[in-house]
Amino acid sequence: MTQKELHNQRLLKEAEHAVTHMHTRRHFLKESAMGLGGLALGALFGCKSNSSATSQVVFDPAHPLLPKLPQFPGKAKSVIYLHMAGAPSQLELFDYKPELMKMDGQECPPSLLAGKRFAFIRGVPKMLGPQAKFAQHGESRLWISENLPHFATIADEVSLLKAVTTDQFNHAPAQLLMHTGTPRLGRPSIGSWVTYGLGTENQNLPGFVVLTSGGRFPDAGKSVWGSGFLPSVYQGVQCRSEGDPVLFIKDPDGMDRDLRKASIDAINEVNQQSYQEYNDPEILSRISQYEMAYKMQISVPEVMNINNEPQYIHDMYGTEPGKASFANNVLLARKLVEKGVRFVQLFDWGWDSHGTDAGTAVDVGLINKCRHVDKAMTALVLDLKQRGLLDETLVVWGGEFGRTPMMENREGKQNPFKGRDHHTEAFTIWMAGGGIKKGFSYGETDEIGYSAVSGKTEPYDIQATILNQLGFNHETFTYPFQGRPFRLTDTKGKVIRDIIA
Amino acid sequence: MRSIFHNKIVWLSVVLLAALSIFVFATHEQQIDFSTQVKPILNKKCITCHGGVKAKGGFSLLFREDALAKTEAGKPAIIPGDPGASDMIRRLTLKDPEERMPYKHEPLSKEEINILTKWIKQGAQWGEHWAYVPLKPVTVPDISNAFVKNDVDKFIYAKLEDEKLKPSAEADKATLLRRVSLDLIGMQPSSTIAQQYLHSNDARAYEILVDSLLASPHFGERWTAMWLDLARYADTKGYERDGERNIWRYRDWLIKAFNEDKPYDQFLIEQIAGDLLPNPTDAQYIATAFHRNTMTNDEGGTDNEEFRTAAVIDRVNTTWEALMGTTFACVQCHSHPYDPFRHDEYYKFMAYFNDTRDEDSEGDYPLLRNFEDSSKQQLDELTAWLKQHASQQQAANINRFVRTWEPSINSLTADKFINSELNDTKWLAYRNHGSARLKQVDLQNHNELIYRYIAWDNNGKWQIHLDSAAGPVVVTVPAKATKGWQITSLALPVQQGVHDIYITYENPSLKPEQTGLQFDWFYFTEEFPGKTAKDYNAYKKLFWKLLTINVEATPVMMDNPGDMHRASYVFERGNWLVKGKLVTPEVPQSLNSAMPKNAPKNRLGLAMWLTNKQNPLVARTMVNRLWEQLFGTGIAETLEDLGTQGITPTHRELLDYLSYQFMNEDKWSIKKLLKTIVMSATYRQDSKLTEELKQKDLFNKFYARGPRVRLSAEQVRDQSLCFSNTLNEKMYGESVYPFQPKGIWLSPYNGAQWNMNKDGSQYRRAVYTYWKRTAAYPSMLTFDAASREVCTARRVRTNTPLQALVTLNDSAYTDMSRRFAYRMQKEAGNNVQQQIAKGYELMLYKNIAPNKLQALVKLYNEALLKFKNNPRETCEINGGMNEHLSPETSALIVVANAMLNLDEVITKS
Repeated sequence: MTQKELHNQRLLKEAEHAVTHMHTRRHFLKESAMGLGGLALGALFGCKSNSSATSQVVFDPAHPLLPKLPQFPGKAKSVIYLHMAGAPSQLELFDYKPELMKMDGQECPPSLLAGKRFAFIRGVPKMLGPQAKFAQHGESRLWISENLPHFATIADEVSLLKAVTTDQFNHAPAQLLMHTGTPRLGRPSIGSWVTYGLGTENQNLPGFVVLTSGGRFPDAGKSVWGSGFLPSVYQGVQCRSEGDPVLFIKDPDGMDRDLRKASIDAINEVNQQSYQEYNDPEILSRISQYEMAYKMQISVPEVMNINNEPQYIHDMYGTEPGKASFANNVLLARKLVEKGVRFVQLFDWGWDSHGTDAGTAVDVGLINKCRHVDKAMTALVLDLKQRGLLDETLVVWGGEFGRTPMMENREGKQNPFKGRDHHTEAFTIWMAGGGIKKGFSYGETDEIGYSAVSGKTEPYDIQATILNQLGFNHETFTYPFQGRPFRLTDTKGKVIRDIIA
Repeated sequence: MRSIFHNKIVWLSVVLLAALSIFVFATHEQQIDFSTQVKPILNKKCITCHGGVKAKGGFSLLFREDALAKTEAGKPAIIPGDPGASDMIRRLTLKDPEERMPYKHEPLSKEEINILTKWIKQGAQWGEHWAYVPLKPVTVPDISNAFVKNDVDKFIYAKLEDEKLKPSAEADKATLLRRVSLDLIGMQPSSTIAQQYLHSNDARAYEILVDSLLASPHFGERWTAMWLDLARYADTKGYERDGERNIWRYRDWLIKAFNEDKPYDQFLIEQIAGDLLPNPTDAQYIATAFHRNTMTNDEGGTDNEEFRTAAVIDRVNTTWEALMGTTFACVQCHSHPYDPFRHDEYYKFMAYFNDTRDEDSEGDYPLLRNFEDSSKQQLDELTAWLKQHASQQQAANINRFVRTWEPSINSLTADKFINSELNDTKWLAYRNHGSARLKQVDLQNHNELIYRYIAWDNNGKWQIHLDSAAGPVVVTVPAKATKGWQITSLALPVQQGVHDIYITYENPSLKPEQTGLQFDWFYFTEEFPGKTAKDYNAYKKLFWKLLTINVEATPVMMDNPGDMHRASYVFERGNWLVKGKLVTPEVPQSLNSAMPKNAPKNRLGLAMWLTNKQNPLVARTMVNRLWEQLFGTGIAETLEDLGTQGITPTHRELLDYLSYQFMNEDKWSIKKLLKTIVMSATYRQDSKLTEELKQKDLFNKFYARGPRVRLSAEQVRDQSLCFSNTLNEKMYGESVYPFQPKGIWLSPYNGAQWNMNKDGSQYRRAVYTYWKRTAAYPSMLTFDAASREVCTARRVRTNTPLQALVTLNDSAYTDMSRRFAYRMQKEAGNNVQQQIAKGYELMLYKNIAPNKLQALVKLYNEALLKFKNNPRETCEINGGMNEHLSPETSALIVVANAMLNLDEVITKS
């Protein structure tokens, strides 16, 4: 049996085990409510159970986070999604376009502008050549820019998707599309879907954790980790590096752990009495929720504390304990998946390189942003690998759209710094681990990186692929709402088979 | 082994007998019911491929006319009366898996095929889905016994009998008091009301209690909290910037409407079309803010028309989901997959909402400017004067313009920009030598232009040209620098008809990239009337004062005047950029409810249709919702969907009975309806679960016991405010900022800060809490409150450890724990047992059981021991030094904190 098969078998076992546990009174009753006659009929006449019924995810409000079985054995157990909010420039990082350099400073040909709409470009802008040097790296010879020197060393671990496209050119709608499958508010985020589908392995930690850096939330706000129409228990729990790591996790001042334990014991003792009185099973689940809350109060601060990490880890990630930084969040993400958290979503704000000031210039601010993430994201892949976790952890990195090969001319005027406008027709996302090909590049853009010419993918395809790696068919993984089954990928999405190992 | 085998034989014979009896009954000619027998099979097995989304083989089963039409095979698949000739039946029974339907799925069961066969034989009639049939009087089951208190109980009892279940006894007084108070006013009643009831021997004591709760001003606050989810109310606009929106007067309108028991039909008419009522009052305008709670996108670079359209679509979806329990959203892209709504019907319905003034502007126009006190009086004076000195129409126009600044042309609708631009895609802004167009402006008889603008430079001048940028100049205006936005006017030479106008700007003193002038809106009008009157100048001055005075304003609905009319089209496959055929306002055919004869073809007509007694959905939806609020689950569980895919009601006749009653006898009175339900024996039952019920009806579908449900986010907060004696009973006004941890608000490009109130407003009821869409109040969200980006027809209750953390650790709750402890000390003297017993009684109106008391006393003693040796922690848990500070107090605070977390307290029993 290969390593992979062993792994799958283990996953399946685990999930089966969890599912047996999950068969609570409710489900038993639901089934028996169909009538024993119905069950017997099925057994006697050899009716097969409806195949869709077995893949249906069950929601038990009393135990909404118990681990569940995916639809089929997936390669990944958890996901770390690194979102660079604001949309980094693919032309200074991954998509090497020497032809664009030749056009630098020339007026944009009308063919690129006819019938197009941009967020800020008006009239005829000038072309802007790549503002970084590129080289090929690793055995895979992937092109990576000088802005990401650390990342260049793991070229042979990742798959680059170079022809991702979207149809939203404003941040909030584009981020929503990327994470919820629609540019409008109100749908569940991918992390919520995954938690709904898989529950969580570690009951002492939330199943879906969100970490933000860059000083701001992503433009679409908390909706990008909201649960939409799924029960609110599946929304992302924001863990914070300042204040309580999880809201309200800290006991009030003056209440020590023993006293908290004593008070939860007292609450549960009284609740036990109430159970004798009312016989309502909800009371039993409340008792277990309070026990869980108590455990969470220990395990969350524990996992959120990076002080005790060895120095070599700090050196590797570039972490600085006590600060709110992307590097700290990346290290936390590794710790969280190690502890069984299903989905860790990072947002780093400040990638909106318009060139309206130095901070948003592709040759100044962007380089600074890269310095802040390059080492840490590279360390994440290497660290997961050295811990044997990379195969079962899918790492995704990207923004909500790309940036124009033209220099932005906001309201028809030259911007003071070199910047690029929002661009929907091509950008780059990379993935690593979780059964994704190593050292692989998929999709091509034209000579100047304006639009995708082959291997074109959309946010829905990224979502379908993530779900696939976790063991879900995005077309049948649904939730009934407003009278119809809803899915993350709406009516679209194709698994990007070419990048799957 | 033997016994299992034996059992199998027994089962086999039982099952065979059952099957045989089904067969015998089935062959007996029985009328097949479409809704309950046929439609479920079609929905489950056929309609995915042969419905509103897809019609494979040219065959769709959504409407009868489609189903009986010729398919791609050249003949109809259903021949009424002749199942043998009906291809549909043949295809269901074929052996060849390539031919047999459902394609590549399990075949239909014999019984299902049998039903379909007989249905076709009987004529393939399309029955009506129960919820689409207009309400008729319902016969009440003839039951009278010791249990039954009113008609509700007769329906419930009849079903219980069928299920061989017995109802529970009435709950004790303490439980009932708490239950009905939380249900009707969302919190504890005053202690006078409570004590009166508890100590009364009057047989009518409960009814007196109910009446006083219904009369309480807190009633309106509680039911408003429910309605705000439907109205997707928030204090911010949503999307990226999520800036503030001033719309709290709508919340206050709701509170007043619920308190005065505004009949539900009137309640809806005002919210849907208050602005279209004759001479609308301010309150009627404010009511229309219901549909101005849609989101506005202020992110730079966003297409205003796209988000205006999104808001209109949201209004359509919300109207259906909140008021008619129908999932209409899917009809945007195609005919409804399951229910009888056609694709174009969506857009015909949308046409009612599509012709409104709002255009996703940053100012959230149109607004109702709220004049109060002296300015209100002055407005009345002006109105009275105008009646004397202007035509009726002109007087009305001026009145409306002062109150709303409408109907103005928003500068964001400009196009053909040269050296001009929509600044941040919001306002028309000019550089030197700039021009832009305003399309199709009605200039007929208009000799004055009133406009709102900013100028940043003293040297420029702007011009209006007719028909092209180089066209004839109508007027030239010097633009001097202003201090911020300014409203001013200029005289216009009268023009004939409707023109495209081009506004140009010249200011050579500006640098090429420098912006000199920016417009917000333009209002082309006639000059102020009454020139010959001797007090003309005084009233013109008053007009300008009122027009420009800084008053707080609320977004409201307003229709476009004729010359600004916006046409409506079908969006092909739901894509707003691909416009199909032109449509005019119309309601769907399939609801058996025609437009009332005198109804105008606008939102007012729509409101009349909604509240017409023929409308099958509006009363049912509201009754079902009110029932859900009291019992935790609707009679039909899916409040948002009473259609064929919704969960079938447990007591359909009861729902219909109450709905009919609601419209007729109760004259749409919500209070009367609620009273009927809470007076029923069904509602008053004890909620203890017997072993038998646990086995037979865990989810209380048959109501053999009273409701036992976790409290809503609002109730959890409000009752704790009551326990701790901190509740600030002030009503109305701007939203408030109770305690919230730092770092919750971090919207990009938005410096808004959560500044906690310290003036007592931090203790106001949950319904007044400031609601920011992208970062809603976290402790309420944890208890399943909706973030209110879009309409939430039903909250799903969850039970998670994060909820425990809120009531254990949230500073709002630790503060309330302290004050609750002080109250126990104050009201019960020095004995700890008495203090805790008192606290328990304050919460639940009953004596604490000895073993519960023991558990809490034990906690107290452990805490006391700790604090006696630990002055610092003693002080910390007390929140610092004050007159209460002592180890005993701190120990009691720990107990109070635990008591706020008891299941009995978090749950309504």
